[in-house]
Amino acid sequence: MRVNVLFFGACREAASGTGELALELADPATVETAWRDLLGRYPDLTRFEGAVLFALNEEYARREAPLAAGDTLAVFPPVSGG
Amino acid sequence: MATDLAKDLAKDLAKDLAKDLAKDLEDVFEVTRDPIDKSALEARVLTGAAGAIVTFDGVVRNQTKGRPVISLHYEAYPPMAVREMRRIGQEIREQWPQVDRIGMIHRFGELQISESSIVIVVTSPHRKAAFAACQYAIDRLKQTVPVWKKEIFADGEAWVEGSMPDLATDSASTNS
Repeated sequence: MRVNVLFFGACREAASGTGELALELADPATVETAWRDLLGRYPDLTRFEGAVLFALNEEYARREAPLAAGDTLAVFPPVSGG
Repeated sequence: MATDLAKDLAKDLAKDLAKDLAKDLEDVFEVTRDPIDKSALEARVLTGAAGAIVTFDGVVRNQTKGRPVISLHYEAYPPMAVREMRRIGQEIREQWPQVDRIGMIHRFGELQISESSIVIVVTSPHRKAAFAACQYAIDRLKQTVPVWKKEIFADGEAWVEGSMPDLATDSASTNS
């Protein structure tokens, strides 16, 4: 299945500045599956392992959350707005 | 006469209900690259019902722990940022039902010293709810709204590190 991945902030830079990418995953897949795949592609993301947030279709999601084809998965560090 | 009274009561109730339903629609939750017009936001959320209007204006500071800051670069995930702001609005209404209206605008892009990055306006009939809700809004925004800032120094730059929010798992659990 294909999901759309978005990176923000320091995670975007660690992913070689890639803001967006289409990820092909074997079914079934979870947020965790996608994260493992992304760590393989962009080893610099490893330093975020303990402090990374995920959003699935614009809602915060846990690592166990299942992915469906066409989902948008956002990967980012803890927010620092304001 | 009794039936007239009942009719009037029903009419008033319907009016109140409609007003409550309309409240959320009249709130303002936005992210923008443009400078924030604070007075315009205040005007948008001010109704005759308000006796207090509390505005929080977050501006770019010229130093971090003594190190001079030249500018701040804000990055946002706009659609999700608006969703999370709206969620904060709902949380405010649950805790302070007397709040009349809420306005929140977060700016992103390159911001110079003293420019506003975030403006939050809360109105209510009396001041206490507006003060409390406004403080809650900015504290919550800093935990959950997907915006990130990078400090630009004369000799380098660094992302400001946020802390892991409580809500990330809370809202995820309502999701699954």
